[in-house]
Amino acid sequence: MMSDNATSRTLLVCCGTGCLANKAAAVADALDAACPEASVKRTGCNGFCENGPIVKVQPDDISYYRVKPEHAEKIAASLGHGPVMSLLFRDADKKLVLRQADNPFYAPQHKVALRNIGTIDPLAIDDYLDAGGYRALERALAMEPDEIIAEVTASGLRGRGGAGFPTGVKWASARAEEVFPKYVCCNGDEGDPGAFMDRSILEGDPHSVIEGLAITALAIGAEQGFLYIRDEYGLACANVAAALGAAEARGYIGTNIRGSGRRLRLEIVRGGGAFVCGESTALMASIEGRLGEPRAKYVRSVQRGLWDKPTVLNNVETLANIPVIIAQGGVRFAEIGTEGSKGTKVFSLVGKVERTGLVEVPMGVTLRHLIFDIGGGIRRGRRFKAVQTGGPSGGCIPEGLLDLPVDFDTLTEKGAMMGSGGMIVMDEHDCMVEVARYYVKFLSDESCGKCTPCREGLRQMLAILTDLCEGRGQQGDIELLERLGATMKESSLCALGQSAPNPVLSTIAHFRDEYAAHIEEGRCPAGVCPALTTFVIDSEACTSCGACKKACPVDVISGDKDTPYEIARDGCIACGSCRESCRFDAVSAHQRKEALA
Amino acid sequence: MISITVNGRVCACEEGEYLLDVAERNGMLIPHLCYHRGLLPIGACRVCIVEVIERGRSKVVASCVYPVRDGIEVHTASPRIREQRSVIIALLLSLAPGSTEIKRLALQLGADIPRLVKAPESDTCVLCGRCTAACEALGTGAIAKVGRGVTKKIAAPFDGMPPDCIGCGSCAHVCPTGTIAYEHTDESVSVWGREFELMRCTGCNAPLMTREQHDFLTRKGGESPELLCERCGKQGVARKLKTRERYLG
Ligand SMILES: Cc1cc2nc3c(=O)[nH]c(=O)nc-3n(C[C@H](O)[C@H](O)[C@H](O)COP(=O)(O)O)c2cc1C
Ligand code: SF4
Ligand code: SF4
Ligand code: FES
Ligand code: FES
Repeated sequence: MMSDNATSRTLLVCCGTGCLANKAAAVADALDAACPEASVKRTGCNGFCENGPIVKVQPDDISYYRVKPEHAEKIAASLGHGPVMSLLFRDADKKLVLRQADNPFYAPQHKVALRNIGTIDPLAIDDYLDAGGYRALERALAMEPDEIIAEVTASGLRGRGGAGFPTGVKWASARAEEVFPKYVCCNGDEGDPGAFMDRSILEGDPHSVIEGLAITALAIGAEQGFLYIRDEYGLACANVAAALGAAEARGYIGTNIRGSGRRLRLEIVRGGGAFVCGESTALMASIEGRLGEPRAKYVRSVQRGLWDKPTVLNNVETLANIPVIIAQGGVRFAEIGTEGSKGTKVFSLVGKVERTGLVEVPMGVTLRHLIFDIGGGIRRGRRFKAVQTGGPSGGCIPEGLLDLPVDFDTLTEKGAMMGSGGMIVMDEHDCMVEVARYYVKFLSDESCGKCTPCREGLRQMLAILTDLCEGRGQQGDIELLERLGATMKESSLCALGQSAPNPVLSTIAHFRDEYAAHIEEGRCPAGVCPALTTFVIDSEACTSCGACKKACPVDVISGDKDTPYEIARDGCIACGSCRESCRFDAVSAHQRKEALA
Repeated sequence: MISITVNGRVCACEEGEYLLDVAERNGMLIPHLCYHRGLLPIGACRVCIVEVIERGRSKVVASCVYPVRDGIEVHTASPRIREQRSVIIALLLSLAPGSTEIKRLALQLGADIPRLVKAPESDTCVLCGRCTAACEALGTGAIAKVGRGVTKKIAAPFDGMPPDCIGCGSCAHVCPTGTIAYEHTDESVSVWGREFELMRCTGCNAPLMTREQHDFLTRKGGESPELLCERCGKQGVARKLKTRERYLG
């Protein structure tokens, strides 16, 4: 009786990077052993990694979270008898959620680029084929290149790698070039800290990217292509390599694609290990084996790219959308989204929200919807302060603009950027000057350092912002930051330098008072910058739980049930761990008067 | 032939020529630093920025790498360019306060922002990349830009004594700030902390090239070049011609 139930069931075990780090592989093995009759499938990332490992039971449509190998027996025994209650998701009102579609994190999502991830085994090409994969490529083989391009143009698809350039226009320009060979290229460098949408697609559905790239090649007339993948992405590289082998064996790429006489050779190139290598000209230099430095882009890559030949470079997520567009038609794709930004976008929602992870939503939803409905609002009931969109090239958006629709043009207009889709939510305990300093530090390490405005502008911005955070700010510093930023924006060589001032300029635009408090009063209003802050425990509010004492990295908090908890002045490094750890808001930040020890 | 206007003046030029070349040919000088006539344009220092208006849209470009297109309108010293160029020079001054060339530019263009901090590396190098471009163009590639971001610097491998260096001195010759020490005596040259013995002209005994340079040319050309200075070389050719004429005559 039990084996009957097991035979008809599929257990989908999330084996993305996040879940693997939490022993998902052992979970899958344990399930294999515990229910030999069921089919256990190892899938890509479900996007909700902080609650992983995730196991889904089909066809019952039950989702389990934080599954450990020792839960395997329980799950096996439950098949056909109803869910294991203790492994279900609990929403904010502690209600149990059975199906993924009813989970508040997933319910508002609309998956296009992520359509297969979490339901197919990325290493099984038949899974991809069963899900309708490679049908778009078959269709494209029967189309004229111009028809393919017309569909992509009709879809309104814009590049998901950051700049939002219309994909159809890019392809048409490359197609018009009469120079051969031509190349196609997939940008999987994803250097934006905290972002992992492209990794997740490459790992979880590599065939969708390969199919997209193969269609690109047919459209522009290329027979060779590269997948440039960030070096740290070991699993992504492995899965793409396996998928390339399988696709070639079935004739979807190779010397005679599905008997059409067309050919395409694709290979993987491991990334150069710097954020700037994701920039198109630096990426191409890196593929050619040269130093990953950008060059002047006054002649575009569609004319002279790899080895000076016409080249189309598209982002991973852009390419994953292509098969959908060709299979359903561009017009259908364009039904979702806004006037200027069609389709969906994947965001990596992280920071101070209740629920973090990868989310795919239609273009044009509001930031508020993303942060409060999907993300569940700010942790611990704190106040929302700002959201940094677009990573290091993007900007901070304050509360007053939360009802803005998220699309390419609106964000750019507000001094932020869609970027690749990073979204970091910050609360009242985040200092905007420190946030700006963090990004400027990142960029000053990750810029290629070739051109003066970017390299030296960042060096000076970092020095000034560090001064501000450490109480050495001077009158005129805000204006100087703005002046440097204006020059960097227009005269830097590549888009890294041109967008590098965004985190600084956008925080100044929306939080100028916070900058002024650092300079004029030597005060960090958020209580973050250690040189300007001390922490005090309010004995009234303190419940003597001892959480702060445990959290303090330098052990300067004393107290127990009978003696009030106290922070010793000497030795405290003002890191704020105590304030973060206190569940009763008994630790508060104050302006530091004496120098930091 | 196409035509563009630079500061209101119409200039005839070829499509794809670099803007800086066109402007200079027409007598309008644009300050520049990394650009050098003998090298492929580098486009790194951004001192040569100008404003280009094309189809009603205005943008800032580096003129040394910007290929001209018909009908563009160029301003080499608009207020926007003057402001940005002066910020760039001020940044360079903070990077290389010891360079007389940069001090001269700063004085000329009124650029100095005292609040800027001094960069920790060299006192004069502006990271323009001319030296490495010259070395690479020769095919030696003995020195390189290493690191990235604010730690980028020009370096020779092996603690500054590049094994592939042939002592030709091209790097020092193109350096706009005199950063690379290059010493020359009758017997030897020294650069990058290495000393190179000079070979002499077999005709007049004048110092000619380093042994390493000679070896390099031999490897590159497949046969060893004659050890003759330019003058003796020419005289040799002339002598040959003369003898041939005598027999022919
Ligand atoms: C500094 C920098 C880093 C970039 N990193 C990436 C990246 O990691 N992935 C990516 O797809 N695009 C990245 N881009 C954008 C690419 O240059 C390029 O616009 C994009 O890959 C084009 O593909 P799309 O049109 O499909 O977006 C980066 C751009 C800059 C300036
Ligand atoms: S803008 Fe920055 S990353 Fe781009 S070329 Fe200049 S130094 Fe390099
Ligand atoms: S050493 Fe001279 S040529 Fe080389 S980068 Fe520095 S300033 Fe330029
Ligand atoms: S890896 Fe499993 S949810 Fe992301
Ligand atoms: S001279 Fe043009 S960028 Fe340096």
